Amino acid sequence: MKQKIILQVNGEDHDIELEPNRLLLYALRDDLGLTGTKEGCSIGVCGACSVIVDGRLVSSCLTLAVACQRKEITTIEGLAKNGKLHPLQQAFMEYGGFQCGICTPGQIIAAKALLDSNPSPTEEEVKEWMSGNLCRCTGYYKIMESVMAVVHNKVTPEQRPSEQRVAKIQSLDVYKPRS
Amino acid sequence: MAKAEKFSVIGQKLSRVEGYEKVTGESRYIADIVLPGMLAGKILRSPYPHAKILNIDASRAEKLRGVQAVVTAEDTIKRPWGAFFADQYPLSVGKVRYVGEEVAAVAAADREIAEEALDLIRIDWEELPAVFDAEEAMQAGAPIIHEGKERNIAMTFDVERGNVERAFAESDLIVEDTFQSAPQWHCAIETIGSVAEYSPGGKYTIHMNTQTLFNARYRIAAALGIRETDVRIIQSAVGGGFGGKSCDDNNALVAAILARKAGKPVKVINTREEEFLAGSRPRVFMKIYVKMGFKKDGRIRAKQTRVIADNGAYSAKAPAITGVAALRHDTCYKYSDVKTQAYLVYTNKIPTGAFRGFGNPSAEWAVEQAIDKAADELGIDPLDLARMNAAEPGYVSPHGNRVTSCELKQCIDMTEKMMDWKNKRANKRPDTGLGLACTVHVSGKRHFGDYDGSSATIKINEDGKALILSGEGEAGQGCYTTMCAIAAEELGIPIEDVEISRADTDLTTFCLGAFASRLTYISGNAVRDAARKVKDQLFEQAAEMLEANAEDLVSREGRIFVKGAEQKSLTVSDVARARLFRRGGAPIVASGKFDADSVLQDSTRYGNESGAYNYGCQAAQVEVDRETGQVKILEYVISSDCGTVIFPVGAEGQVEGALAQGIGYALIEGLKIEEGRPINPNFSDYRIPSMRDMPPLVHGFAESYEPSGPFGAKGLGELGMDPTAAVISNAIFDAVGIRIKTLPITPEKILNALKENG
Repeated sequence: MKQKIILQVNGEDHDIELEPNRLLLYALRDDLGLTGTKEGCSIGVCGACSVIVDGRLVSSCLTLAVACQRKEITTIEGLAKNGKLHPLQQAFMEYGGFQCGICTPGQIIAAKALLDSNPSPTEEEVKEWMSGNLCRCTGYYKIMESVMAVVHNKVTPEQRPSEQRVAKIQSLDVYKPRS
Repeated sequence: MAKAEKFSVIGQKLSRVEGYEKVTGESRYIADIVLPGMLAGKILRSPYPHAKILNIDASRAEKLRGVQAVVTAEDTIKRPWGAFFADQYPLSVGKVRYVGEEVAAVAAADREIAEEALDLIRIDWEELPAVFDAEEAMQAGAPIIHEGKERNIAMTFDVERGNVERAFAESDLIVEDTFQSAPQWHCAIETIGSVAEYSPGGKYTIHMNTQTLFNARYRIAAALGIRETDVRIIQSAVGGGFGGKSCDDNNALVAAILARKAGKPVKVINTREEEFLAGSRPRVFMKIYVKMGFKKDGRIRAKQTRVIADNGAYSAKAPAITGVAALRHDTCYKYSDVKTQAYLVYTNKIPTGAFRGFGNPSAEWAVEQAIDKAADELGIDPLDLARMNAAEPGYVSPHGNRVTSCELKQCIDMTEKMMDWKNKRANKRPDTGLGLACTVHVSGKRHFGDYDGSSATIKINEDGKALILSGEGEAGQGCYTTMCAIAAEELGIPIEDVEISRADTDLTTFCLGAFASRLTYISGNAVRDAARKVKDQLFEQAAEMLEANAEDLVSREGRIFVKGAEQKSLTVSDVARARLFRRGGAPIVASGKFDADSVLQDSTRYGNESGAYNYGCQAAQVEVDRETGQVKILEYVISSDCGTVIFPVGAEGQVEGALAQGIGYALIEGLKIEEGRPINPNFSDYRIPSMRDMPPLVHGFAESYEPSGPFGAKGLGELGMDPTAAVISNAIFDAVGIRIKTLPITPEKILNALKENG
């Protein structure tokens, strides 16, 4: 038996009719066409489907859409305003915080949820929080750097932090290539 | 040797050309594609590892409301297909050979109806005895999985170069041991999927998230018994490949067969469980016996291996992977006398296949541990032993691989400095140890029809922007940015003025796709060739306009001028418009090509696999907890020789991401399979590394220049994970004196080994 509900997503109200067992993930993707939220594991482990509901980070693959009525839902589509990227989105681009990009909406949403409640987390706190968002491409170093760039308000870097991690050959007194 | 070239685009702070779409969620992946009238497809999979199909009754499923098509092998031409050996069918013919095999499929109005319909299909089975272990499968009397394949051997070869027996006799030390590697799933966060359409005129259009479009087209056409151009593959954005999206599975074929029968577009997306059962083909796992002979001073004198590789039920890329495991590492160090026997064996499990590293991680897991063992027994620092034996430019491996650029020694030196190796080694703390290993990889591999090339087309639009048309496989690794950077550098225009279109087999020229770390080197050269040719056309037109000789022209930042007379310049746009809008006008467009100067291996496996070889050295410092068996990586160091670094953020990301997969392979990832049935096919039980699993890392790129590469570049993508498992195991040995010989290295294995060690 379908139910009529109003879902408020990214500040916009949507009237939709759906089964009470409809997952928020599918309501967003299939009913509202907001495909930025991704399905990765379907069991709430990988974080690709992360959205923010009333300030809380949730896995939309484990959340019923009807339970989100009268709540404020934020998805990746709600972050850029008038073509201007959110600082986290800008940072992920500048610092290479993604490769294939499938987990990226979830990573950025998770990071936003963290910074909304704790604007200056330590690296350890970021690590703890972001460990619920799996990425198979980056090895996470650049995700950490992207988030910390926003924390330190250094989105357009003079020097990318990875330059400290990635050793400059000139600074190492090593075997010189033969001519 | 590094060429003093000044680049305006290459090596600069570039970010991904598709970055905006990726960070805003606008990028369109396969699951995001919706076509009018599209149906949901679901696959009925075998619950048995080995069984005969006596009868399939789909009548109840067909009658379910919302069901538009049910298909079985009867809807196919029953023609087997495969990358190297044609041995698998789109839908099972007569029998199944592993749990998860595709037996039937349904297309229905939505997922729920399709799933309900699967439950209504009735199959009568006759279970057959099954075999799950490769060595057992090779025994006389083992169940036969494919008719005519005696002892279940899919492939075998035996190669000797030099005289191994004599070389062992001349050795001062002989080490030997057996190591077992493990299967590893790609676990791209996006599973495999397809959206197929069929037009009654006879053409299939399939949207796929594949990393190898033209190979997919060839295989799909072969299995459907149609011509290549009767299939059009359009690539969606790809959410991670790592070898798993090379079209060695049946997903797209099932979607195509359903679409034809239903007369409507059909979407088939693997669930995570399906991806583990029968989606991406996991890393080929192997048992490797290795015996090596050394001189007293540490020089390698001889090497002998016996490789038994588990093919699973069907052959994907495992034949080539087994070859790499047996032969490739002989390009890492200077060898003279080597012998290898390799067997690829069918078992009743998921077919195994290509995963980042191909056969290298398995081989290096074994050989780099044997070398470490020798260093220990000879009392030589393993770093010095590696340096002494390291390949150099000009080295030709016993199997014919010809090394051009090679900075392995520089990589070893960098690793030593970055790890502060000598100091840490001299001041060893209890239960803490250092380990290292070296690696070699290819930049492309010649094994498909004596071709290891690529092609690309570039057109210059009236506004001065260049568009690259490439059929290569961007799977998320960033090759489009690399290609755009190469085109921008050659054309003398900003990278913002270069676009690249997604691959489409009807529109882009033939390309083999993403595998064998080939795109920077192979497709980079093809793109550069195309850019040179369009630049010739631009200069020809500009020369007329500037009343100058084309040879005297240069282009920089989107402007063309006579060398030394920059004040009188034309924009690329001016020139492109003038070329087009005139009587007899023509577009500025050219195709470029490249085929590596490599040699196809002959029947004895002698040849030169690749046009260039990439090298690396890695080291770890670990701490082992004797109470819990936990291994903590205190520090990790990686040095890579990939020639010129074209796209720094991308290159760094390749190394860092590869390390995560290497750590997963070494310490974390494992699928429990009981009687052929995977027990934990999901992300909560099959754990992949998360942010908190990553150790402190320092890495660097050697100063290197590959003369045959585009602007000196060669491959990188796989290098970073090849030796990691061996590095960690060697460090554990240094820490607590135990050597783990089966992957993954779990705390349980460590505790058992510590107990045995007293």
